[in-house]
Amino acid sequence: MDWGYINARIRGMKSRLLDHRTLDNLILQPDMDSLIAELEKTAYREDLIEAKGKYTGVTAVEYALRNNFVRTFRKVLDFSKEKEARLYISIFLHRWDVQNIKTILRGKNIHVTNEEIVDCLVPVGELDEATLTELVRQPDVKAVIDLLATWDIRWARPLTTAFPEFAKSGDLGMLECALDRFYYNDALQAVSAKGADNAKIRQVLSLEVDVVNIKTILRMVRDRIAPEDAQKFLLEGGQALDEKMIARVLVLPTIAEAAAMLSTTWYPTLHPTRYRFLATIPEDVLRAQKISVIEKQLERHLVREGVDSFLGDPLSVASLIGYFWAKYNEITNIRIISRCKTADFPVENLREELVYV
Amino acid sequence: MEQVKPTRMELMKKKAQIKLAEQGRDLLREKMDALIQEFFKILSSVSDSRDELDQISRAADLALMIAAATDDPVTLRSASFATRRSITVGISGKNIMGVPVPVIEKKRVSKSMLERGYGIIATSARIDETAERYEVELDLLIKLAETETAMRRLGAEIQMNRRRVNALEQILIPELRSQAKYIKNAIEEREREDLFRLKKVKSLLEKKKKKVREKKQQEAVSPG
Repeated sequence: MDWGYINARIRGMKSRLLDHRTLDNLILQPDMDSLIAELEKTAYREDLIEAKGKYTGVTAVEYALRNNFVRTFRKVLDFSKEKEARLYISIFLHRWDVQNIKTILRGKNIHVTNEEIVDCLVPVGELDEATLTELVRQPDVKAVIDLLATWDIRWARPLTTAFPEFAKSGDLGMLECALDRFYYNDALQAVSAKGADNAKIRQVLSLEVDVVNIKTILRMVRDRIAPEDAQKFLLEGGQALDEKMIARVLVLPTIAEAAAMLSTTWYPTLHPTRYRFLATIPEDVLRAQKISVIEKQLERHLVREGVDSFLGDPLSVASLIGYFWAKYNEITNIRIISRCKTADFPVENLREELVYV
Repeated sequence: MEQVKPTRMELMKKKAQIKLAEQGRDLLREKMDALIQEFFKILSSVSDSRDELDQISRAADLALMIAAATDDPVTLRSASFATRRSITVGISGKNIMGVPVPVIEKKRVSKSMLERGYGIIATSARIDETAERYEVELDLLIKLAETETAMRRLGAEIQMNRRRVNALEQILIPELRSQAKYIKNAIEEREREDLFRLKKVKSLLEKKKKKVREKKQQEAVSPG
């Protein structure tokens, strides 16, 4: 077992995450140039120097953040020899594979130029740059799926199954939905074996499934989508919502009622008051049907739960999970700060927009 | 004035022309008043729509900025690929006081979440709200394009009418009046000359008659 070594490295990396004072300092910078100058004093220096060679301003910062995130993942993957650690990292990296395939399919569906599609790809998952480039070269959606199937890439399975429905309706959302459902099912399947580490990863994934489902339910209720249609877009594998509860929420007429009902979800053995915060959403937000505000609360909850994994057994995958969420949180915050700086957003409003500080 | 024939016929023609020009001017004035009324009606709706557009545009930009900040801009661009569609609008026309203005018939640009094309599971409500705001902005822009074009055309017509009224009022009618006056003066002058001439002839004839009468009287007084 290698957990002691992994834990020590992860804790060392965690100590280099930006603290509240540094983030506050970034918020108070008057403009983009001084923000970049401040960021260059942190662990992002190397990525920023590289990014500044290609881009300027906020684009350079975003490029650097993306690179840094990828580099961090690769670094952790390099020193993690534990099966569970590698498994969790690969589950996390698969998100980019799914995102890249979706981007290619979307681009091919409306015949965007290959250059435009390539600009939106982040080759950090299992699908490397050469594979993605070849996929981009395909003439249409069907050819992309066929090529994935020829190469026996796992993502071809859900796409091949959902393709007839797409061919009939022309609705790309069907393919995307199948891909997303497959991602979560596949990830949960990969950690279905017994063991504390697998259980921890399952717990984090289930929490994510719950949060995604709650967001989807609220969006469905707002757009008054028929419950039988809405069911197609919900993920399996969550813990907080059972089928009965989902069916009851989907028929509610307003998101205020839906949020109220979802806030009463409780599982005595797990988290008795997990979504109680949904009942405290201000009335004007519910009346204006601003799901983004509720979404922010849900994401904050998800990140907090993820980061709290640090408090778990240090000789397990828990610290790795905690670190990834903390890093994700940091990168999102820096991105929000830099975007808000570009738009001359007042500091007070910027603090409100920061999702996870 | 030299081309004008100072005849009664010409005077009558000029008077008829003046009357016609005055009638035309009055009609154009009435049309202009009606156009101005229509113009102000549209203007108030355009200025309301412009204010609304400003607000919506600001809200849309803010939503976009927040979505780009929180979700990765790459994710946002990718989602935009799924929603990129062309908008079909049909353009017909209607008449406002003889001014052809366009009527844009379009389907509502605003869509439901499922109609936008991107998958729901991995996208956020922030992206929905950004798309929603831009769709509202697009709806308003198309509406504004219709009313602003109508307003611009009405404005151009009002300006053209004003120029016509001014031309009638400042140039044509005064010129016709001065021509009529010239003809009238010329005719009066001629009448006076004729009268004078007649009087002169009459006095010459009378003098002649008087001479003949005096000669006859002298012959009668001294027959030898």
